[in-house]
Order: sequence, then structure tokens, then C-alpha cells
Amino acid sequence: MRRKTSNVLPLTALFAVLGLTWIAINVSGQGAGYVPSTAKGDWPYYTADLKGSKYVPLDQINASNFNKLEVAWRFKTDNLGPRPEYKLEGTPLAINGTLYTTGGTRRSIISLDGKTGEVNWTYSFREGNRAAIAPRQLSGRGVAYWTDGRGDDRVVFVSTGYRLVELNAHTGAVITTFGEHGMVDLKVGMVKGAGEQIDLETGEAGLHSTPLVVKDVVIVGSSFKEGMTPVTHNNTKGMVRAYDVHTGKQLWAFNTIPRPGQFGNDTWENGSWAQNGNTGVWTQMTVDEDLGLVYLPVEDPTSDYYGGHRPGNNLFGDSLVCVDLKTGQRKWHYQIVHHPIWDFDLSSAPLLVDINVNGRAIKAVALPTKQAWLYTFDRVTGQPVWPIEEKPVQQSDVPGEKTSPTQPFPTKPPNYARNFIKVPDDLIDFTPEMRAQAKDLLARYRVTDRPFNPPLVGDEKGLLGAINVGNAGGGTNWPGAGFDPETHIVYAQAANSSAAGLSVRKPPAGFSDLSYFSGRNDQPFREALGPGFGTAADSPLAKTVGRPQEPPPAPAAGRGGRGAAAGGGGGFGLNVDGLPIMKPPYGVISAIDLDKGDLKWQVPYGETPDNVRRILTEKGIKFGNLGQNGSVGLLVTKTLVILGDNQVTNPGTHPRGAMLRAYDKQTGKEVGAVWMPAPQSGSPMSYLAGGKQYIVIAVSGGAYSGEYLAFSLPENE
Amino acid sequence: MKLRIATLTTIGLATFGALYSNLRADATRSVWDGVYTADQAKQGQPLYNENCSSCHGDTLIGQDVAPALVGGEFLSNWDGLTLGDLFERIRTTMPASKPGSLSREKNAAILAYILSVNEFPAGKTELPQQKEVLDEIKISASKPGKK
Repeated sequence: MRRKTSNVLPLTALFAVLGLTWIAINVSGQGAGYVPSTAKGDWPYYTADLKGSKYVPLDQINASNFNKLEVAWRFKTDNLGPRPEYKLEGTPLAINGTLYTTGGTRRSIISLDGKTGEVNWTYSFREGNRAAIAPRQLSGRGVAYWTDGRGDDRVVFVSTGYRLVELNAHTGAVITTFGEHGMVDLKVGMVKGAGEQIDLETGEAGLHSTPLVVKDVVIVGSSFKEGMTPVTHNNTKGMVRAYDVHTGKQLWAFNTIPRPGQFGNDTWENGSWAQNGNTGVWTQMTVDEDLGLVYLPVEDPTSDYYGGHRPGNNLFGDSLVCVDLKTGQRKWHYQIVHHPIWDFDLSSAPLLVDINVNGRAIKAVALPTKQAWLYTFDRVTGQPVWPIEEKPVQQSDVPGEKTSPTQPFPTKPPNYARNFIKVPDDLIDFTPEMRAQAKDLLARYRVTDRPFNPPLVGDEKGLLGAINVGNAGGGTNWPGAGFDPETHIVYAQAANSSAAGLSVRKPPAGFSDLSYFSGRNDQPFREALGPGFGTAADSPLAKTVGRPQEPPPAPAAGRGGRGAAAGGGGGFGLNVDGLPIMKPPYGVISAIDLDKGDLKWQVPYGETPDNVRRILTEKGIKFGNLGQNGSVGLLVTKTLVILGDNQVTNPGTHPRGAMLRAYDKQTGKEVGAVWMPAPQSGSPMSYLAGGKQYIVIAVSGGAYSGEYLAFSLPENE
Repeated sequence: MKLRIATLTTIGLATFGALYSNLRADATRSVWDGVYTADQAKQGQPLYNENCSSCHGDTLIGQDVAPALVGGEFLSNWDGLTLGDLFERIRTTMPASKPGSLSREKNAAILAYILSVNEFPAGKTELPQQKEVLDEIKISASKPGKK
């Protein structure tokens, strides 16, 4: 009897201890695995999934109740940095009801309770001058997430100063086993010229987009300053690199500017590969996990509007490149613009859609662009799904410039927004007089019957510029597009009225080693800084070195008076009586059926801007919804396409503000709209938390500083 | 006695009336009411050229990276807000290359210059520098009374 008792008691105690330990492990989350997916109502990637869809299969919020949405909670980013930010562009991730994103002028990382917006933790670190002078500032587009599926959960992001950092997703603590004390210095390995390492403090390199995390690999692109008025053509060279998620060890690097001996090096004539840079991947990449293929959308080489220092097609500038996930080896590529000089950077995530064309199943990749063409390829072979034709285009007459005689023109699907001004059809037509005025205005510019009108040397005595549509801002810019993987429909919002008269000028003496860059000879020189540039937390108070002093211009008597500037990209003076030179709709939302290669529907985006409304009303001209210009991101659900206005309006039908709108996925009919106090500045996302569906969107602009706004249905819905 | 009461009442009513109409005037003060001086705008112009024109253009019409500060679209964006809102936005975030580096006095002068380019009338009093006071001046794209 005594022996039995003495055996049983220790065993019982052992089992009890083991049992309690097992419970403790699972309750604390450490060791308890959660693998997120959109099927569960998570949003684990910037683009919802690795294929770029922006799609989550939720329909708790639908056409019958969208108008009942209320603000569930809000999160201001004002104090995540020494001053508020007015350009909040993040799209949070949602993992099992917890949100992770960036915010503030310090680009802090935040974890929020998805039900209430309560802060779980925040993280930031002072990078000093390196961040203050970084080319890409403010909070950027968000973070990435990695999990081993067993409770080791990490937030992965790129800091303003261009460092790759990993944090414990539960605590915000730096993962010190990654890289050097949690960080990989991404400037190490960045070079200019023939291979000269850039200065780690002052060298130009940074990033806004989120890293791409797939399996145990983190893939990171690179970004630089705006390329309109660079001080040198020999800028930092872009790269795409992959790192081991555990150790931070570099796995591979892809040179977007091929080196001697590498394929494409000969597309940089006269050894110009060694004297040019940029050509980075500044936007989101996507990956087919099963095929092990990564899709890189590459930007322009140095100097967006003049390529005289880089004759040749300049691979892989403005190219879609497919590389092997394991090795970074190029599998195929397609150059979208040869010898890029239109600022037609590939601006957003390539969409990996499985389609069925004429009975043939194709694993496709569809690329939304600033030109509003959706270039569609077999993503395994790189073959265009529908023919893309090389067509002759206008040639440049700028000294030293040698443009490509042809450019690629997709035959299908049709462009989903304008990419040139068709005269007279695309011109303002509220009245015949206005259209006549528009034609007169265009007489001062070079106009072509197709896109790719090269910049000219602009001068008041001659032509002012070359008319182009969609450069810089698109068409589709960084917010990209989305798709429904079940129906094979791509949804793309696009700017439809961004007209520009592209011109170049000689830089002021001593400013740049470029012979020409953006500007006009007859106007005082203006260095073009990127949006948000200089607004980082520790931006220096000293004036930027190298900016020459030009005498201030004569008083602008009578010019620039009220009504002279217009909406819809009239900043080049391309406006008629204060109205955009191009006729509405000023912005559009399109559904493109990729099985057919056709437009399924197209509706105006947003609503008529206030100044247009006022001018037309004063003139007694009737109008409907004219839409608004700009490129914004959207969200796709089981039944809806959801996106917000990027301008504040006060039309009388809603309080002064911007509307978040829902459209029927099948027809494009607007089925609901809820009020927001400020415009959409980051792309919306949606997730489940506690069984309830939420929509979160970043809003900011004008006098309204950055805020994440969360919507959900009222309790009794 | 009755006369004294009547006098006091009259004085009281008159005082109250004067105060009330002042309050009413403050509540409806807008950029159309001569809220800056021509001298102030003249001081603001070289400050604008030095600190703002490189992004917003020498004629304030803007370019890709910075919006217009003149004209219909600019005024639509700020219509209904106050000069306090605009002043604070400029003061804390501009110029983009060195935000918050200009004094309130300089910011007020630049704002006066912007108002002058938009052809709002100048007046006898300078634009104030305090946000709370500027909050009392509404930005109105259309002249009040005209619809």
C-alpha cells in the first residue's frame, strides 16, 4: 500500500506539471502557432496576399449595410515623431485581430488592438542625420510580417535611414539575433559608378514600400530621390536583395543595372552603365510561392526626363523582371518603356492572376501602370497573353538625346484611363468656346496622336513643352490595383486628366553634371523635391548645399490670379477658365475581365471637385458626376470594391469632407458611401476581429494630420 | 429717478449692442474683410520667393510635388477652414526642406503675400501671428453674400 502511493504521487505531480506547462505555453502565445491568411479574415501582407490581390473574402459589410458603417475607433499619428505628418500612406496588416503598421514623422512601428485601436506597443529609434537626409521619408507604406507558425512572430520593416529591422510582434522588442542586434544596414552593398560603396551616412538610398516576406526570405527593393532635377547622373545604383529572415545574411542580389558580362549591359552604350544609377524597385513586389518566382517592377534610370547620358534601351529600367526566389537569377523580363524618359516608373505590385483565355488556363501576371495599360504576360514564360506591338513614336530633338524608334503598345486589354490627349475628342467640351480655347492653348505645345511624346527644350519663344498624360502620377501610381482571384477581374482606379507639357532645360551653372533636366529655359530654376522630402523627424535646419542663388523673379503682377489654376493637373497652365483642359471624367474606376481582355465596366471615381462645381454652376452649365483626378488604392471583398475620395469636397449633399465609397463588384454601381473628415491618403484594408469585420483607412491632408480611421457596423447590425 | 434709469438703460443697451455687433463681426470675419496690410504682403513676397517658390512656383501655381497656393483648387481645399488652420499647417510643416524653421512673423508675412496673390483685399490691420486669433478668420472661396 505504501509503495503504490509513493509511485502514483510523483507521477501525478509530473503529469500535472506537464499539463499546466502545456496550458501556459498555449495561453501565453509563445509556442502557440497562428498562420494568418485572408481566408481567415486576416490581412497578412501590404497587398493582402503575396499575389497582390487586395482581396479578402468577407461580406459581413455589404451593399445592404455599407451606409450604416460607423467609426469604430481612430488612431492619430501626431506624436509618433516631433511634429505631425500630413501624408499618412500606410496600409496596416491584420493578424488574428491585431494590427501592425507604421506612423508618424519618425516612421514608428505600432501594434494596435484591431477591435478598439488601443496601443499594444510602439517602437521607434533615432537614426539621426542618416534618416534626416534620407530620400524617402515619413511613415511610408507599412510593415511586413513573418511567422514560423509556432509562435515566433515578427514584424519586418525598413527604417527611414534604410535599415532592415525585425521586431517581436508581441512585444515590439528588437530581435537581436537578426543581423547586427536586430538590424541589417541596407546601405552596405549599395554602390555608384563602377562599384564604389556609397557613404553609409550621406549616400542616397531609402525605401517607402514594405519588404516582401515569403517562406524564410525577406526581399527588399531600393528607392532614391525624385529624378526630375538630379545633381548628377552618376547616382546610387538600384538593387533588389534577399535576406535570410533568421540571420539577416544576404542570400542574393539582383543588379537592375547589368554589369559587364551580364545580360543587358550592352543596352547602356558607351559604358554608360558605370555613370548612371537609380533603376531601383521602389514599389511592392509579388511572388508566386509555388513556382518560386518573384516579380520586380523596375523604375527609371537616373534623370526621369533626359537620357542623353545613357544612350541605349537601358535594361532593366522600366522593365518587369521575373527572378528565381532561391537564387535571384533572372528568368525573363519585359521592358515596358525603351530608354525611359517619361517618368513611367513601374509603380505598383504586379498582379498574379490565374486566368482562362479561349479555353487555355494561364498563370498570368498583369502589370498596372502610369500609362493605364495593364500589360499581361504568362508569368512562367514571360510571353504576352495578347500581342504587344512595337510602334513608331515621336523622336526627341533635345541635343544629346537618342530616343527609341518604337515603344511597346499592348493590343489588349485596352488602356483603362487616358494616356495621351486625343485632339479634339479628349478636350474640354462644356461649350464649343471652351474647346476652341483648349485648342488654342495646345498650339504652344507639341501634341502627338499617341503616348511617348518626348520632352523638348521648353522656351517661351518656341514651344513650351511636349503634351503627355499620366507621367509622374499616373494613370496608376504606387497604390496600384487589385483583383478577384475567383472571377479573374482586375479592379483599377486611375487618374484620367493629368496633362503635362514636358520640357527640359540646361541646369544652372554648377548645379548638375547633366546637360539637360526638367524645367524651362525661360523660367527661374526650381529644384524639384519629392513629396514629403525634408519632413522627416530630424530634418536639418541648414540650407541644402549646392542650390544656386537665382535672383527672385519680377513681381507676378496680374498672373496667378484667382481662377487661373485648375484642378486635374492644370499646374502647367493647361486649363481653360480654371477648368482642366481634358474633359471629364477626371478620374475613373475600371473593371477589366482578364479572361476576355476587355473592360467590364468603367465609372467616374469620387465626385466632382468643388472648384469645378463652382465654376460650372456660375456659368449655368449642368453636369453630373465628373469624377476627380488622382491615383488611390482600393480594397476588394466578396461583393464590393471599396475606395475613398482623395480630395475634400463640400457639395451640399454631405458635410465638408471626403467619402469612402463602395461599388458593386459586378456592375460598378455605387452602393454606399460614408463620410470621412479627410481624404484617403493610404490604401484601405479589411479584416475580422472578434468575428466582426472592420475597414481601416489612412486619411490625411490639408489641415488634417495623419489618422488611421476604422469603420465597422453598429452593434445591433 | 426714472430719467436716470432710462439713461442707464439706454447706455447699457447701447454698450451691449456695440459689444454684440463686434462679437458678430468677429464670428463672421473672413479673408474678404481686409485682414492683412499691403506692407505685410510686400514683406512676404521675398520671403516666399526664398523659402517657398522652389516647390510651389514663383507664381504659386505649383508643380508635381507641391500644390498650387492660388486659384480655385487651392481655395476649394481650404474653403470653410480658418486662417489659423492654414497658418499652423505652414508653420509646423513648411518649408519642406526645413520645417518649422521660420518665425511666426515671417509665416504671417508669407501668408499675407499668398492672400494678396489670391486677390483678397488688403486692409488697415496686419495679419495676426497667434493661431487662436487667426482661427477667427474664415477662408471663404466665394465672397460672403454672393452665392
